[in-house]
Amino acid sequence: MKKGYIWKRLLRSFLSVFIIMIIVFIMLYSLVPRDNIFFEDATYKKLGGKPDDKREYVMRTWEKLGYLDYETLNDFCAAKYEQGSAEMEAAMENGSKEYYEFIDTFEKKGYTVEYLQLSKKPYAFKDVPLVQRLAKWVSHLLVIDTPWSVQDPNNPDLKRYIKLGTTPTGGLALIGSGTTHKYLIYTDTRFPFLHQNIITLNLGTSYPKFEGMQVLDVIFQSQGTEVKREVTFETGVTQESAINFGSLTYKPTLDRLDQAKFVDHYANYTTNKEQSSMIGTSFIMGIFALILAYGIGLPAGLAMAKNKDGIVDKIGMFYIIFIIAVPSLAYIYLFRYLGTRLFNLPSAFPIKGAGDVRSWILPIISLSLPSISSLMLWTRRYVVDQTNSDYVKFAKAKGLNQKEIFWNHIFKNAIIPIVHGIPSSLAGTITGAIITEAIYSVGGMGKMLPDSIKQYNNTMVVALTFMFATISVLSVLMGDIVLTWVDPRISLSEKEGRS
Amino acid sequence: MEEKKVILSAKDVEVRFRVRENYLTAIRGVSLDIYDGETFAIVGESGSGKSVFTKTFTGMIDSNGAITGGSIMFEGKDLTKLTTDKDWEGIRGAKISTIFQDPMTSLNPIRTIGSQISEVIEKHQGIPHEEAKAQAIELMEKVGIKDAANRFDEYPFQYSGGMRQRIVIAIALSCHPKILICDEPTTALDVTIQAQIIKLIKDLQKELKFTTIYITHDLGVVANVADRVGVMYAGQIIEYGTAEDVFYNPQHPYTWALLSSLPQLGVKGEDLYFITGTPPSLFNKIQGDAFAPRNPHALKIDFIKEPPMFKVSDTHYAKTWLLDPRAPKLDKPEAIQDLHGKIKRMTDKGGAFHVE
Ligand SMILES: Nc1ncnc2c1ncn2[C@@H]1O[C@H](COP(=O)(O)OP(=O)(O)O)[C@@H](O)[C@H]1O
Ligand code: SF4
Ligand SMILES: [Mg+2]
Repeated sequence: MKKGYIWKRLLRSFLSVFIIMIIVFIMLYSLVPRDNIFFEDATYKKLGGKPDDKREYVMRTWEKLGYLDYETLNDFCAAKYEQGSAEMEAAMENGSKEYYEFIDTFEKKGYTVEYLQLSKKPYAFKDVPLVQRLAKWVSHLLVIDTPWSVQDPNNPDLKRYIKLGTTPTGGLALIGSGTTHKYLIYTDTRFPFLHQNIITLNLGTSYPKFEGMQVLDVIFQSQGTEVKREVTFETGVTQESAINFGSLTYKPTLDRLDQAKFVDHYANYTTNKEQSSMIGTSFIMGIFALILAYGIGLPAGLAMAKNKDGIVDKIGMFYIIFIIAVPSLAYIYLFRYLGTRLFNLPSAFPIKGAGDVRSWILPIISLSLPSISSLMLWTRRYVVDQTNSDYVKFAKAKGLNQKEIFWNHIFKNAIIPIVHGIPSSLAGTITGAIITEAIYSVGGMGKMLPDSIKQYNNTMVVALTFMFATISVLSVLMGDIVLTWVDPRISLSEKEGRS
Repeated sequence: MEEKKVILSAKDVEVRFRVRENYLTAIRGVSLDIYDGETFAIVGESGSGKSVFTKTFTGMIDSNGAITGGSIMFEGKDLTKLTTDKDWEGIRGAKISTIFQDPMTSLNPIRTIGSQISEVIEKHQGIPHEEAKAQAIELMEKVGIKDAANRFDEYPFQYSGGMRQRIVIAIALSCHPKILICDEPTTALDVTIQAQIIKLIKDLQKELKFTTIYITHDLGVVANVADRVGVMYAGQIIEYGTAEDVFYNPQHPYTWALLSSLPQLGVKGEDLYFITGTPPSLFNKIQGDAFAPRNPHALKIDFIKEPPMFKVSDTHYAKTWLLDPRAPKLDKPEAIQDLHGKIKRMTDKGGAFHVE
C-alpha cells in the first residue's frame, strides 16, 4: 500500500465533498426562496402587525445567515455620533444631511436602497454572491484558538498566555488566556477522556430552531435534564451545579453570580445532561444494531449456504422474504407489540429513558432486523458463489474435507466483500434511523435532516450534508484500506502489483 | 509384450445426473483397465463424458449425480462404494490426484502459493508445518519454479498461468500419487507453455513412476505422450488400444472422423473432413449405436441394436458392427490414410506437438 496513494485519495475525497457542498449551496441559497426560512419562525409571526420591525427582523436574519449585507441609517449615524446624543437625534431625521449621505454612499457602492413602510427610513442591502458565501463558509470552517482570539476593547488588560494546569475537577489541562476556550486540552472522566478545544469545526449557527446555537453543539450536546453534582469552583465556592468545566469560554461582561464562581472572564459554559447527544444516541443504537446484525446475520448466512436448499436455508429465506416483502413500518410495529406484550419492554424510549437498558432493546432490535436480513442474503450468496468456484473443486481434489475447505478456503474469500462494507455500515449509524427513531420517540439524528429541510434550517442542512458526505467518503476509503488487509490482490496503488 | 499389472479396473460404470425432473445418463456402461505406470489418453469431443468418467475415480461427481451401476476396483477397494469425505481419505488427493484445466482459477486467490502446497502435505502425511514447508519448497523446485524459497509466500496473482499450472502439478504430486488424472491440463495455456507443461508431466512421470490418465482434445499431444488411447463418444468408450492401434489402424467410423477432422492432417487443397450433426441427447434411451445418425457408413442394424466390443487384436478393441464378419468392407477416408507417416513427421518436428 502506498502512502502517496492514500493522500491522493484523501485529496480526491475532499474535492468530491467540496463539489457536493457547492451543489448544496446552490440548491439551498438560490433555488429555495429566501422568504421561506421564516415559515417556522415564531418571532417573525409575532411581528405580524408591525411592518417596520418585521422588515428589520427579516433583513437582520438574512444578514446573519449570510444572504446579504444589510445597512441601516442608524448604524451609519452611530459610527459618527454618540448613541443618544443630540447630533444623533438630528441625523436620524428623514431629510437630514446624513440621510442623503447614507443613500448616496450605498447607492454608489451598488446597494439597493429601500424605505421602511411606516417610518420611511432608508436601509440598504446587497446580496452576497454564492461563491463568496461558499468561500466564507469554507474559510471559517476550521477555527483555531490562539491567545489572540479574544479582542475585547472593554478588557484591555486581558493576559495572553498558554500554560499547564488542572481543571477544578482535577484533570490535567492546557489552560489559555486570551483564547476563546479556557481549557485548550483537558482530561476528565467522560469518553473519550482526552478532549481538545484548540481546533473547532464551525459549521454555522442553527436557525430558526435552536436559534443562535452552533449546529455542532445542537448535534453533539447531551440532552435531557441537567445532572447536578457538588462542585468547588476556583473561587472556593462550593455548590450544586451541572457545569461542564471543559466548555468554559470567554464572557465579555460578568454578572455578580459569575464573579462569585469564576476568577477570570471565562464564565460561559454548557451543562452536563443525563442523556447522550443526538449523534451519540444514534451512534450507540446503531453500533449495537450492527453488532447484532453481524453477530446473527453472518453466521445465519453461513449456515444457510452450508445447508443450501435444506431446512435451515428455507427458514432463513422465509425471514429474508418476510423482511423484504413486509413494509418496515409493519414489522417494526409487530416486533414492538411482541416485545411489549411478551417481555414487558417499554414501547417508547422516553418512558424509562436512556438510563435504562430496557429502553434500548426494542429500538435496537427493530433497527437490526433489515440489516440481519440483508447480511444473511449477501453472506449466503457470496459463500454459494465461492463454493462453485474452481479452486474449491481443486481443494476437494486435493483431498481436503468439507470443513477444511469451508474454513480455510471459502470463508475468507466470501467475507471479503462483507468486510469491505463494515466501515460504511459504521458510518451509516451516525445518520440515524428515521423510522425506528420516530416510532420509539428516540432523540437521535434520524429526524434532523428531514426536520431541518422542513424548517428551512439551511445552516443545519449544509452542516449535516457536509458531515455525512465527509464521513461517507472517508468510510469508503477506510473500506478500501480494510480490504487490503484481507485481500492480498488489492494493493491500493494506481498500478497493479507484479504479475 | 510382458503381462502388465492392472492398477485400476472399471466395470460397466454408469453415471446418471438429475436435471430438474429428468435423468441424464452421462456414462453408459464403461469398462476399462488401467495398467500400472502407463499413460492412458482419453479423447473425444466435448460432452462425451471424459471428465465425468474420470471423476468417478475420486468421488468428485457433482452432487446432482451418482454412480448408478458398475464397479471401480482400486487396491482391492470398490471406489463406487465410497461416499463420505472420511471414506475417501487417503485416496482422493493422496493416491489418486487430479489436475484441472484452468490454472488461473484452480488456486485460491487469497492464500499464499506455499500454504496451498504445504496444506496438502500436512493433511496427508501428518507432519509438522516446518517439515511440510521444506517439502513444499523442494516440490516447487522440482516443477521448475526458480527461487522457490522466496516465492513460497507469494500469491497466485503474482504467478503467470504456466507457473500456476506447475504449482497445481506440485500440489497434485505432493503425496506421491499412484494415479494422476490430467483433465485437459493445458487447454487454457498458450502453445509454448503447453509444450513445457506436457514435457514436465512426462519427466515427472518417469522419475516418480505414477500412472497418468490424460484427457485431451489434442490428438497431437496424445500421439506424443500416450501409451494407450481410449475414444469416448456419448458416454461410452467406443474404441481403445495402443496409440499405434488407434492411430494407424482405427476401426470405428467415429475414430476415423475424429482423426480426419484434425486440421493438422488436412492435405493442402483438400476439404477438411468434418463430423456432421450433433451427439445424441443423453436424456433419452439410445437405440442401437449412438453414432449411427451421424455416420455416413451406418448399416441397418446400427439403428436397432447396440454393437458389442469386438476384439481387433490382443490390445485393440472397437465397438462397431463393421467388425462383424457379415459387414461389408469399407475403405477408410482419404485423410487418415498413411497417418503413421503424417504423425511421425509432426511429432518429430520437436518434442511436443505444435498447433500452427
Ligand atoms: N452436474 C451435471 N449435471 C448434469 N449433467 C452433467 C453434469 N456434469 C456433466 N454433465 C453432463 O455429462 C456429460 C459429460 O460431461 P463431461 O464429462 O464434462 O464431458 P467432457 O467429455 O467434455 O469432459 C455432458 O453431457 C454434460 O452435460
Ligand atoms: S456400429 Fe454401425 S453405426 Fe456404429 S459406428 Fe459401427 S458402423 Fe457406424
Ligand atoms: Mg471435460
